Amino acid sequence: MTLAELQLALPEIFVLSMACVVLMADLFISDQRRGLTHLLACATLVFAIIITLNLRVAPGEVFFAFSETFIRDRFGDVLKLFSYLVLLAVFVYSKHYLRQFNLFKGEFYSLSLFALLGVMIMISASSMLTLYLGLELLSLSTYALVALNRNSMIGSEAAMKYFILGSLASGILLYGMSLIYGATGTLELAAISEGLTMAAGESLLVSFGLVFIVVGIAFKLGAVPFHMWIPDVYHGAPLAITLFIGSLPKLAGLALAIRMLDNGLGGLHGDWQGMLLVLAGLSLVLGNFAAIAQTNIKRMLAYSTIAHMGFMMLGILAGTPEGYAAAMFYAIVYSIMAAGAFAMVILLSRAGVEAENLDDFKGLARRSPWFAFMMLMIMFSLAGVPVFVGFFAKWQVIAAVLQAGFVWMAVLAVLTAVVGAFYYIRVVKLMYFDEPESDEPITAPVDFRAVLTVNGLAMLGLGLFSGALITLCVNAFAA
Amino acid sequence: MPLTEIVFYLFGGILILAALSVVTVRNPVFAALFLVLAFFSAACIWLLLEAEFLAIVLVLVYVGAVMVLFLFVVMMLDINVAPLKEGFMRYLPVGVLVALAMAVQMFLVFWTRGSADQPMPDPRPEGYSHTRELGEALFIDYLYPFEIAAVILLVAIIAAITLTHRRRPDTKYQDPAKQVQVRREERVRLVKMKSEGGES
Amino acid sequence: MNIETILLLIPLLPLAGCLAAGLLRHQVGRAGAHWITILAVGISFALSAYVAWEVFYNDLPVLNYSVYAWAITDGIRFEIGFLVDSLTALMMVVVTFVSLMVHIYTIGYMHDDDGYQRFFAYINLFTFAMLMLVMANNFLQLFFGWEAVGVVSYLLIGFWFKKDTAVKANLKAFLVNRVGDFGFLLGIAAVLMYMGSLDYAEVFAATPGVEDQTISIFPGIEWSLMTFICICLFIGAMGKSAQVPLHVWLPDSMEGPTPISALIHAATMVTAGIFMVARLSPMFEASDMALTFVMIIGAITALFMGMVGIVQNDIKRVVAYSTLSQLGYMTVALGVSAYSVAIFHLMTHAFFKALLFLAAGSVIIALHHKQDMREMGGLGRIMPVTAITAWLGSLALIGFPFFSGFYSKDLIIEAARYSDRAGSTFAWICVMLGVVITALYTFRMLYLTFHGKSRTDEETLSHAHESPLVVTVPLVLLAIPSVIIGYFTVEPLIFGGALADSITIRTVNDTMIEIADKFHGPAAFGFHGFVTPVFWLAMLGVAIATFVYLFRPDIANWARTRFHVIWKVLDRKYGFDELYQNGFAAGGLKLADGLSRGGDRTVIDGWLVNGSAHLVGRAAGVVRRFQSGFLYHYAFAMIIGLVAIVFAFVSLR
Repeated sequence: MTLAELQLALPEIFVLSMACVVLMADLFISDQRRGLTHLLACATLVFAIIITLNLRVAPGEVFFAFSETFIRDRFGDVLKLFSYLVLLAVFVYSKHYLRQFNLFKGEFYSLSLFALLGVMIMISASSMLTLYLGLELLSLSTYALVALNRNSMIGSEAAMKYFILGSLASGILLYGMSLIYGATGTLELAAISEGLTMAAGESLLVSFGLVFIVVGIAFKLGAVPFHMWIPDVYHGAPLAITLFIGSLPKLAGLALAIRMLDNGLGGLHGDWQGMLLVLAGLSLVLGNFAAIAQTNIKRMLAYSTIAHMGFMMLGILAGTPEGYAAAMFYAIVYSIMAAGAFAMVILLSRAGVEAENLDDFKGLARRSPWFAFMMLMIMFSLAGVPVFVGFFAKWQVIAAVLQAGFVWMAVLAVLTAVVGAFYYIRVVKLMYFDEPESDEPITAPVDFRAVLTVNGLAMLGLGLFSGALITLCVNAFAA
Repeated sequence: MPLTEIVFYLFGGILILAALSVVTVRNPVFAALFLVLAFFSAACIWLLLEAEFLAIVLVLVYVGAVMVLFLFVVMMLDINVAPLKEGFMRYLPVGVLVALAMAVQMFLVFWTRGSADQPMPDPRPEGYSHTRELGEALFIDYLYPFEIAAVILLVAIIAAITLTHRRRPDTKYQDPAKQVQVRREERVRLVKMKSEGGES
Repeated sequence: MNIETILLLIPLLPLAGCLAAGLLRHQVGRAGAHWITILAVGISFALSAYVAWEVFYNDLPVLNYSVYAWAITDGIRFEIGFLVDSLTALMMVVVTFVSLMVHIYTIGYMHDDDGYQRFFAYINLFTFAMLMLVMANNFLQLFFGWEAVGVVSYLLIGFWFKKDTAVKANLKAFLVNRVGDFGFLLGIAAVLMYMGSLDYAEVFAATPGVEDQTISIFPGIEWSLMTFICICLFIGAMGKSAQVPLHVWLPDSMEGPTPISALIHAATMVTAGIFMVARLSPMFEASDMALTFVMIIGAITALFMGMVGIVQNDIKRVVAYSTLSQLGYMTVALGVSAYSVAIFHLMTHAFFKALLFLAAGSVIIALHHKQDMREMGGLGRIMPVTAITAWLGSLALIGFPFFSGFYSKDLIIEAARYSDRAGSTFAWICVMLGVVITALYTFRMLYLTFHGKSRTDEETLSHAHESPLVVTVPLVLLAIPSVIIGYFTVEPLIFGGALADSITIRTVNDTMIEIADKFHGPAAFGFHGFVTPVFWLAMLGVAIATFVYLFRPDIANWARTRFHVIWKVLDRKYGFDELYQNGFAAGGLKLADGLSRGGDRTVIDGWLVNGSAHLVGRAAGVVRRFQSGFLYHYAFAMIIGLVAIVFAFVSLR
């Protein structure tokens, strides 16, 4: 191990150290001054952004470290930067909620930072071992976060379900990894990629292992039929945590899929493409249809996540650099949209009562025209209305899947997107055309409103200037 | 049949029986004890494979510490297992069916793979240290995953404390320091009054 | 600051001003709004002037670069880019200068209006959009600017949205422009389809390659591709530049506040079509047919719209019809391949027509928003500055020698005369007669407004006074270029080849060569102007107007009854409105009604919409039942999924 290797992993080391610092510092901070913990956590992310930006690698450059278990490339750097940004937004949004619901505790911040570390480890994993460990770190932190509100029965139930199903999925993933290890004799993804050609005689064993790995990934993404945990967990978790699991882990899911399926098992593209096709198709159909029947906005967004992940998988299954770039673009855009959508739900919540019903959005345009407008842009973007960034995300993946030759899949994707537009635009209708049920003014701290405004306007801004972000994603996969 | 094979099958058989018992016996204390037995048998098999360090660690950590903790918890919580197993028989047929399907598929995969004889690995040379090998693997080759594993454990601790440790506002607890400092005047009030029968 | 930063700032400053004045209108207040927006446009004007100086005097090379790639799909780049050459530089100066004047003028004109900040935000936005249009280096951005100015025009015509007529007028402008834009969009689509690019430079380079290509829209009829494209594009120009028969919206647009009539509906936006054709001259040059079409449309507009101006009584409408007629002149110039003359007239017209509108606005302020000329008269004594500047503008408009309009208009007439294009004689006759008409309606307006006996009621007259400085200063500042700019720029612009880097003319079409032989400097041209038939035709118009409206007003009434039919036709504006209203609109309504009843309500609503909605609802209900909430159901579903995938992808291989 050399200093250069440590420098490559500096962002991870920094986040780990700061997570511990936040953990310790919080012990000496009284409840009244808990804001300090918040500031410390936010500062961590800001510095992480600076460090990653300073040490960023050029497109096409790849560095390995720690006996090839760690990889540093453009893809990872871009994804990490967006992870920090999304988490920063999550922190700002959450503070308002946590204060109102008496959950303003230091553990939220340290666990979130540990989860971020898990995401970063997955993003930078070049060995199945690190990939798995990163996933476990993320999952374990998330389980604890879901159960953060111990007075909530529904929260504990959600945490329990999440934990058991997550463990099951981890087991399945691990089993798949061990089969691949058995067939190729190595844990390193690059070596697996080479070993696959050697292990031609083991093709049945390899594809058997592949199924288990795909299932593990599908669970993480929430693809049908491994999606069952999503609605219950989104619904049961405190809103701030739903906001967290609705945004950041999507980037990790993308990293897991790309690292595992492309870097490691790229040679089996023909095998996993079919599986992803089925999973994506089911997710698109079920996600969009089930979301219509929901009256609880958290559940509605949960099903919409399932559909969106189906869209993202379309990009992955194309198996081309353009397809991966499209999927990456989709994941980044989706995490930003989801953060904004959940933040709006937080905004409407009053002390002790989560505004989780769709009816709570009634007449919002009259109570707060500006934020109704923000929500309108977020909903339009989620629905994929042109000009908003969500449209470009959908467009990119559909272009990728068309290029891969699956016209019927593209048609299905567009049709289900139309079905999906119904429930997004229903929210807009509720906000603009219905009478408000309460005339309580909408209040939120300045930082919350500022970040939400930026978040909402980003839907339009990123749409108008989508070229820059697309270029960023395309460069991430430049050879 | 050489001695090692007899020992292997002996412990292997015990291991399988013990593992089955863990999931079938009704009494959770027995289940935990069977798990201890399973671990112990596994440790013995590892010894046969010349993995002395791992075998000893398994016994020390799992049997010595983890399982004792398990027993502790099981006894303290006093869970009534019967209702938990209520639906067991009802779902058994479907469960068995799926498990069977899974098993058949797995079997097929491994069957078609052929029974090519795997060569015996070469015996380790004299003076080979299993512990040293393990150490090198952990602290040189897999240092990074090892550190991550440490972080995972840390998170597990934090999570456990977060979820269990809480201060209830209505909990009553003693403060010995204050108890010691208490003075008589704070607790006892002497009231002077005339005796009742004084006047009469 | 390098030139690219400057070019980026020029359009972005007005945009920033618009956002500041529009979104923060309560915070910045009335004074804040006009300061911010005027400052933005002022700096923008200064920078544009600097760029123009560099282009015309320091020989700045043509800049053509992409600022931002919006999207790339199938090798076609959708970009925002700037093309800065002499044509762009000239347009930028004209747009920002007139805009600046109008901004200042607005302080006075809109003084008591509730929508003060909104108005400033709109005109700033307009300046941004117009600059984006003229600075574009590709069709996409051209279209963006095109639609954006259209939107602002729509918003401003309906600025007083509580007034019924204003709302109707903006709807009309919107709908008529849709017709034009449809053609424009078709043209752009054809360009993209046959040339494979939206970039000007690439399209111009590809033009000679497709010149001989024909397309057949209807089977059996072959059209030249370039003719098709150019006519489609020109239909767009007809909408925006209000050429017959898509002119009907412009007179009605006078419902908007006067400053925007000056800025948008006289000086800048309506000339976008002229600018577009000049900018695309390499394409139009490739099709004689299209140029003939352009010329004929222009000639008809120039003459017949001017005639309508004679019978109008609303002071702003007279100026509006005059604008239509002058746009026709420019279009004629385009049609005879005298693009530089068209742009020259565009520039001089921008100054003197903006001046006339603002002068009319000044009168309207004085009379408390009365616009009928029958209730004016004799105002010259009360408001001398307005009257004098209006006189100067009018002299420029009728083409009195040495005034700016003289040079540009005379050259158009000359170009039409010397052109060899089929039908150019017709165009020449039209523009010659147009000179009489122009002089007639212009002086009629002057006399009715500023001279003769006052017909204003006492009450209004007692309040009438000269307008404040914020109104008169822009008038004076606009009067200066209206008078002199022709004299100073005619030589470099037309004969010196200052626009040569942006305009392509094929030698066979170039009429200006012949005229250049006869041109011996602006002074000689001016003195020669006194002895041409054009001058005497103009004087004839002036004489008629003077006689009829200054000395014998009864003749006007006598003529009206004597030539009742002609008067009626002119008053009805040739019946275009009635035709559209009763023909297209009514027929369309009937057709739509039938379709709505038969197709929409039964098939679409009944079967497709409601039917599929029911289906979706039912499917959603079924899906919901899977989500039972039981952990073991979930785990079981996962295992079944796993087994199924293994079965499908491994066992069945």
